[in-house]
Amino acid sequence: MHAVVCVKQVPEQNSVKITPDKKVDASGINPIINLFDEYAIEEALQWAEKSNGQVTVISLGSDDATDSLKKALAMGANEAVLISDAALADVGAQGAAKVVAAAIKKLGNVDIVFCGKQSTDDETGQFGPALARFLGWPQLTYVFKVHELTASSIVVDRALEDTLETVESSLPVVVTAVKDLNEPRYPSLLKIRKVSKQPIPTWGLSDVGLSVGDLGGTIKISDRVPPPPRPSGEMISGDVQTQVKALVQKLVESQVL
Amino acid sequence: MASGVWVLIEHKGGQLAAISKELLGKGKELADALGQPLGALVLGDSTGGLVEQAFAAGAAKAYVVEDAALANYTTDGYVAAAKAAIEAHQPEVLLTGSSLQMRDLTGALAAELGTGLAPDVTGIKVEGGSVQAMRPSHGANVINTLSFGEARPMIASVRRQVGQPIQGAGSGEVVKVAMPQVTIRTKVRKVEERTGAVNLADAMVIVSGGRGLGSPDNYTKLIPELARVMGGTHGASRAIVDAGWIAYERQVGQTGKTVAPKLYVACGISGAIQHLAGMRSSNTIVAINKDADAPIFKVATYGIVGDVNEILPALTAEVQTKTGK
Repeated sequence: MHAVVCVKQVPEQNSVKITPDKKVDASGINPIINLFDEYAIEEALQWAEKSNGQVTVISLGSDDATDSLKKALAMGANEAVLISDAALADVGAQGAAKVVAAAIKKLGNVDIVFCGKQSTDDETGQFGPALARFLGWPQLTYVFKVHELTASSIVVDRALEDTLETVESSLPVVVTAVKDLNEPRYPSLLKIRKVSKQPIPTWGLSDVGLSVGDLGGTIKISDRVPPPPRPSGEMISGDVQTQVKALVQKLVESQVL
Repeated sequence: MASGVWVLIEHKGGQLAAISKELLGKGKELADALGQPLGALVLGDSTGGLVEQAFAAGAAKAYVVEDAALANYTTDGYVAAAKAAIEAHQPEVLLTGSSLQMRDLTGALAAELGTGLAPDVTGIKVEGGSVQAMRPSHGANVINTLSFGEARPMIASVRRQVGQPIQGAGSGEVVKVAMPQVTIRTKVRKVEERTGAVNLADAMVIVSGGRGLGSPDNYTKLIPELARVMGGTHGASRAIVDAGWIAYERQVGQTGKTVAPKLYVACGISGAIQHLAGMRSSNTIVAINKDADAPIFKVATYGIVGDVNEILPALTAEVQTKTGK
């Protein structure tokens, strides 16, 4: 089995700034692997270990995304590919999915792709479904448990708002992971040292057979602003009885209760 | 040329979902501003009665794909059905809810059609003749304005409470669309209600507890009861979910649920950035915490500095007295 895991490097905290030209500025914030992608990596590793399979991690991002790829290698992935190109600086989720789909086709012989259900920075949740469409594969999103995975089929539980769906699919397939799908392992220091010199090939847009015109541009972000400040609040003082009476009074008067 | 604002109807047991009624209200606004008709896209294996409900909620046309293959949601089946209707009747805009199933569908459908998707939006409007959508990202630290390229339809998945339902509108025209031939590669084996499932996103009141409660027992004793008398449900901070006090289902915040209820009561929650990200757009926020400098007070509408274990029983009793619950 050959599994690909798509990994996005994101800021650890979302306390980002907005630049005068309306871009997101995450400088000074520690970059990490998107939380949900860690579960995707762990799931791929566990199934690959059971079947003597292979795991390739792919990240589309700036050159420093090799940090996240190295961590995935230290966790146990076999190979890593970085997709980096100046033309991809402002690419949206759909364009990114198109590029990664082309990279997965270039790798060839891939049976399954795991990715996180969404990134913690852009939060579109769009990448996995778009990737599956561009690959022409079925998709299983919001996967909470993988019951079985064979050379030709997979059975999973999808965790939706009120229901749990047990779904089977043929392979190849794209699976998106929710939190607590498993317990992601910590890479050992020995492993971290071992992979530090492993070369990571970098592919540009032309390496996957695409050009800027293929990226779509179906969505443009025309403005970014910080959230409006909340109106300043009111502190309620006094003893406990006074405080709760005053609070409930205010909530009833403003028809909140 | 593309024309029409469509709402993808979500339904259960023959009833239109609340989100679909809200979206028909929002869709009517957009349709009027664009000078185009409002349509309902109804997909399912048994759609009887749904079109009348859609007309009553403002739709002038209902595009119906009815087929046994649509009994359960599958990405392949629903993408194929929606695509057939869209290609035959060329709408300008398609609105859906932002439930996980709709996020699954719209991500695939937009890629399939090569059209733009504004996911999980908190606002959508027509500005100077063009459709614009607003959506938060980066844990609600950034509010993005999205505009669409040339491809149609423009697709947006929209959160609850963005639109207002319309009451008692008239009748409309039903347009049937045949289900295309499609190989559905996934098979739904079983759908079960989640034990202890909680739809925080739809709750009007959420009472959340945090580490300031001191123990899981205090949480269990105090938080669900206050939520009950307030007519809502209970949530939690990441700290106590990680500590194993309560299931992940209940977690509000960047790596849990994003909520925007009418009333959010934060009890013993200091207000880490990751928690604020999930609840700061709530209408009214009440914060109760013993630390007067806790960041939660910066977003609170009403703040009480004190011991939650003393305040909550008194607050529950007072709410009961005042509201009779």
